[in-house]
Amino acid sequence: MAAMEIDSPTKIPRKQAAYRSLDEPFEIQKDIYRGQQYSQIYSARLHLLRTLMHSLVPTWKPHFPVCNILGLEEGSECVVVGTLYKHMELKPSVLDEYSKERSVIPIARPDNFMHESDYLVLEDESGRIKLGGSLLSPSVYVTGVVVALLGRETDAGDFHVEDALEVGLPPQLEMPLKSGEDKYVVLISGLHVGRAASNPLESQLLIDHITGHLGDQQVQGMAAQIVHLVIAGNSVEIPRGILNKQNLASTDYSRLSEPIKELDMMLTEIAAGLTLDIMPGSNDPTNFSLPQKPLNRCLFPSSAAYNTFRSCPNPHCFEIDGVKFLGTSGQNIHDLEKYSEAKDKLEFMERTLKWRHLAPTAPNTLGCYPFTDRDPFLIESCPHVYFVGNQDKYETRLMKGSEGQLVRLICVPKFCETGVAVMVNTNNLECRTLSFNASFSS
Amino acid sequence: MLPDVRDRLPGMAPKSASMKGFYRQKKSTKSTASKNVSTKKSPNLPMPYDSDITQPAALISHGSLDLKDSYKEDEQILGRFDMNMAYGPCLGMSRQARWERALKLGLNPPEEIESILKRGKVGSVCLWEGRV
Repeated sequence: MAAMEIDSPTKIPRKQAAYRSLDEPFEIQKDIYRGQQYSQIYSARLHLLRTLMHSLVPTWKPHFPVCNILGLEEGSECVVVGTLYKHMELKPSVLDEYSKERSVIPIARPDNFMHESDYLVLEDESGRIKLGGSLLSPSVYVTGVVVALLGRETDAGDFHVEDALEVGLPPQLEMPLKSGEDKYVVLISGLHVGRAASNPLESQLLIDHITGHLGDQQVQGMAAQIVHLVIAGNSVEIPRGILNKQNLASTDYSRLSEPIKELDMMLTEIAAGLTLDIMPGSNDPTNFSLPQKPLNRCLFPSSAAYNTFRSCPNPHCFEIDGVKFLGTSGQNIHDLEKYSEAKDKLEFMERTLKWRHLAPTAPNTLGCYPFTDRDPFLIESCPHVYFVGNQDKYETRLMKGSEGQLVRLICVPKFCETGVAVMVNTNNLECRTLSFNASFSS
Repeated sequence: MLPDVRDRLPGMAPKSASMKGFYRQKKSTKSTASKNVSTKKSPNLPMPYDSDITQPAALISHGSLDLKDSYKEDEQILGRFDMNMAYGPCLGMSRQARWERALKLGLNPPEEIESILKRGKVGSVCLWEGRV
């Protein structure tokens, strides 16, 4: 084996890329809570998507009138646009505690609340109507999706659906012309620093590889092509058991802050070399409801000193060299999994794009801020890369839209369990994994 | 038109020009639930569609009966704007914010609403705020 040259004469510069943050819709600093209810966000969602639908319906069904739910007449076929509501028997309700029957509803699976008796209801501001017919399968849809339906009202009082239209993928800006330079963005999630089962050696290997401290010239050359790192949630695991104790001793305080300090040290090493975005996840010390606020810079005293360090909200949207990235830390897909089914996680992601809404189950079953005049989860323009963090395994697919949109869908796996990071080539949207394994063979 | 009370009660006072003479009621400044709001307007005029009789008593619970008719009209116009479902829910936001939201979402809210709100002297939030 040839000896590694320590004083290498050629320096390999890291490639640079133009970064632009598009997180403004996810900020809630200017919104003030005035006691409003969630009806406001549903109303805004319906108005915005219905306007879009009204422009699509004439090409879809040109000969049928469009009316609102209260204007439906029995027997006449027309098109209605509204928000779906799925009635689910097994959906946990806080009122179950107070029900007098005290009968225990058997839950088949604690992670999925679907039942064969689930049915869909269409709602708009004038009324609601139960949906009949076999076209719309309740196992595919969830509460909060806006659709246009063609059908007629039956004498039983429900709406027999003959055809359905989803909003479809939003328009996409053209990707910049291929410059010939391969630049990579690394996506990781689920570091869970502080968890007993997490292996710090694997994360150290990752950091060393990205910052170019590992390998020979060829490997370092590959690392120099990495221009950006995004950490998609659940970076830290604070020992919750301590917080439940009555009296905290001084040793407890230091144990609480150890994971954050360790994460800060890791991020300092990364920030010294390249730009870095950190997003909050479901377990991170920030607010619970979406959109989650960026992790406070006070938590990262040494890495926040670098201007390459950027704390971002969840969901997170940014552009690298004109390639648009949109991603979440996984809460939206995890919630869809509980209330609907699909053959894989990528199909859930495809559905959210076709419904043009990142988290349709918010605010029904997913915590969300009660916006009054907008719905920030509406996807206005189609991203080129759509990623979801904290998934069980790595999956990816290139999705093609009806108008030529091309989206790279990525499920980023939990790093502490799999040791896998994802590299995306911004030049051609190709996707690779970086796998780190530091287990000791017995 | 109110049914003529004088016809139902035999042997009462002869027909007078106004109901005021019949009831001889003094306006009290501290009436809490005055049911006799009809003394405000002369009964010779036909009762308007949204007459004061339909106003809930709580509206005048704080003191003097409100006699400024133009103010009442503005409140009624704003009340109809509040209740119009096309502009979304009215609870939890000020009328001005709701009008701006309607404008932003392209719902074409009537401009006279904004001018009434700018004139002032009207409630900044909808009727049901704090009560529901």
